[in-house]
Amino acid sequence: MSADVSDLSLVRRVQRGDKGAFDALVLKYQHKLVKLVMRYVRNPAEAEDIAQEAFIKAYRALPQFRGDSAFYTWLYRIAINTAKNAVVSRDRSPIEYDLDRNSSDESYDMQGRMKDSETPEGLVLTDEIRTTVNAAIDALPEDLRTAIVLRELEGLSYEEIAAAMDCPVGTVRSRIFRAREAIDRRLREVFEGGLGRTEELG
Amino acid sequence: MNEELDSQLSAMFDNELPPAECELLARRLSRDEQLKARWGRYAAIGATIRAEGGVRLNAEVARRVRMVISKEPVLVAPSGREQSERWGTRWWRPVAGGAVAASVAAACILWLRLQATPEADTVIARAAPSDSALGTGGGAALSLTSNPDSYVVPARVPARPSFFPSMQLAKYVVAHSEFSSPMTRRNLLSALMVNEAGSSAGSAGPELTDDVEDDAKSPQ
Repeated sequence: MSADVSDLSLVRRVQRGDKGAFDALVLKYQHKLVKLVMRYVRNPAEAEDIAQEAFIKAYRALPQFRGDSAFYTWLYRIAINTAKNAVVSRDRSPIEYDLDRNSSDESYDMQGRMKDSETPEGLVLTDEIRTTVNAAIDALPEDLRTAIVLRELEGLSYEEIAAAMDCPVGTVRSRIFRAREAIDRRLREVFEGGLGRTEELG
Repeated sequence: MNEELDSQLSAMFDNELPPAECELLARRLSRDEQLKARWGRYAAIGATIRAEGGVRLNAEVARRVRMVISKEPVLVAPSGREQSERWGTRWWRPVAGGAVAASVAAACILWLRLQATPEADTVIARAAPSDSALGTGGGAALSLTSNPDSYVVPARVPARPSFFPSMQLAKYVVAHSEFSSPMTRRNLLSALMVNEAGSSAGSAGPELTDDVEDDAKSPQ
């Protein structure tokens, strides 16, 4: 199985003008990208700004993406370059950078970021998501927990997990799906019941 | 939402869904907000398991990117299938490489043939000499063929313009052999012998060959 086949099918849709497919790619990689950018900048809000810029650059460059490398590899390079440039420009002119950040063009985004990420409510949401997911993982049967952890934490393919767990690939697929469903069921309750942020994820 | 679809979504998230199913699900995913929300939660689950500290899990980046992209023009690019046919398979690369190599080889052969044309003319002249050639041939004819009168010496002169310089060089090397290193001298003379062997079997050949052989046989 190609390592990038599903990403590539989404990329092809974006290249044909489907913006919704790009949204799916952003949803999938936003956390990874923010985490990556945080190697260069410590401030999470700034890392989110840079990740956002990287995604927008990627969207604009997507017509030139031919699929020679995996989409995430390509996106990774864009994000690294964007982060490096941001650091260099901030080091050169920290005052300008701060002024730019407060300019009227971005005031809307700044307000949005303050509202959604840096407020106690945003932090509580993140904490609650973490607590819920961790509790749900702990409650999983051993085989489901092992499968989802090997996949998400170790990054193993289904075939590798099948070899590690000594079971067919179809079983691995089923276990990972059931694990996700069990966690997602509890996660949905957080969004729908508690803080009403379901639309934020979709 | 049916379980099979959710199972496919989970496998697609892991890049483990067969390509044909991916195409269909990608279309649905890009339009179905509920499915996309689930997809986003799968990403949040993964981020939590990886303990990506400092990363906010409320999909703020996605919301902001979506807002900017909505104002962007729709991308215009070759369709996936066209692009895949044009770039994805890369089948044409080795073919193109082979074609270039074949073209170069063909050009070289053609060039060599064109270079060899005067020689061929000479051969034809040997086979069917004109009366004037027979008249001006002088005493340089060799008995290489059954018809000695057909050999025309002057035709060989332009074909080997480097003969006299190399002979001079050989003489120079032989004359100064005592001052040169035996290894260098032998290599140079060997090269000259090889160079001249095929072509200088004519009147000047024996003179050079004798010199070279004498030198080569002489004690170092």
